[in-house]
Amino acid sequence: MSGQTDWCAALLDPARTVPAGLVTWNGSDPVQRFAVYRNNVTVSLMGAIADTFPVCQALLGAARFRALARAFVRDQPPRSPVLARYGAGFADFVAASHLADDWPCLPDLARLELACLDALHAGDAEPMDPATLAAVMAGPERLPALRLRLHPSLAALDSRYAVVSIWAAHQGDETPANIDPDVPESAWVLRHDRSVRVLPMAVGDVRFIAALRHGLTLGEAAALAADGADFDLTRCLTVLLREQVLTGIHDPDLRIHP
Amino acid sequence: MTTTANQTVTAAALALALGTALTIAAVPAGAAENGAKEKCYGVALKGKNDCAAGPGTSCAGTSTKDYQGSAWKLVPKDSCVTTASPTSPTGHGQLAAFKDKS
Repeated sequence: MSGQTDWCAALLDPARTVPAGLVTWNGSDPVQRFAVYRNNVTVSLMGAIADTFPVCQALLGAARFRALARAFVRDQPPRSPVLARYGAGFADFVAASHLADDWPCLPDLARLELACLDALHAGDAEPMDPATLAAVMAGPERLPALRLRLHPSLAALDSRYAVVSIWAAHQGDETPANIDPDVPESAWVLRHDRSVRVLPMAVGDVRFIAALRHGLTLGEAAALAADGADFDLTRCLTVLLREQVLTGIHDPDLRIHP
Repeated sequence: MTTTANQTVTAAALALALGTALTIAAVPAGAAENGAKEKCYGVALKGKNDCAAGPGTSCAGTSTKDYQGSAWKLVPKDSCVTTASPTSPTGHGQLAAFKDKS
């Protein structure tokens, strides 16, 4: 139906003419009424973007962020009726649009904020019982072949910029220390006890999660993560256990530990 | 380094790392990490309340004043009545909403 296509295009582009054949119930000007509707659509989507990327907004300032959000909304309107997850393409859009090139860390910061949103909405999973893990320790020679199952909320990302420190400086009420934005930083993002956490980690720690997510064994993932990168296996396992994001272990020689 | 040697090293390293991780992670489990929470009125800064902030606006982040007596914040259990609140008649947070002293 081309009428619907025209309608949608006109909604997002103020330069287009109002779709033909509009009538109003009380005889007021359809052009004006359509303009109100167009404004409501764009502003509400811009509001959703602002809610998801508050630190990006704080860095850029409200006026510039609004311009950036408006450009994004018109370029990539939601494909899903679920507004809570709108904004997945925002980071790439920011990088490609060159609208904020004076803030080179902004795309990665947006990725971090989106990871927080994804962690918040991720599914639930029961953490595995540490007692099961202690039993696994009885056969240490099998450890390298184990596959770890991770909580759906756990994500890992790294950046050439100090996005973790910048993000942290915009949480809570502490006065931020001086941050050098050009220091590379990495983080794990996860949900624990119904709240999202951003944990500063090393580059190798991020690779470790990526390798486990790809289905590599514990031994393979640890070897890959340690290869030429800062990686601490004990720290990784401790955080997985403490934050309760280790949900199961698959032992190919035995059985599946729930 | 051959794959075999690498895997042997990794098996021992994995056992050590996992053993250490189990020990470390076991310690804070029962303590503050998993602690129970309670609703505490009058201790949240402006806009930082977890919920309840007066008629028509009863949800998170809606308190309009620091230490507003009608807004609560989740705090570790049993810590509420020892948390300072300048607006509270008792000088501390309370487990129920109260009227701010002027």
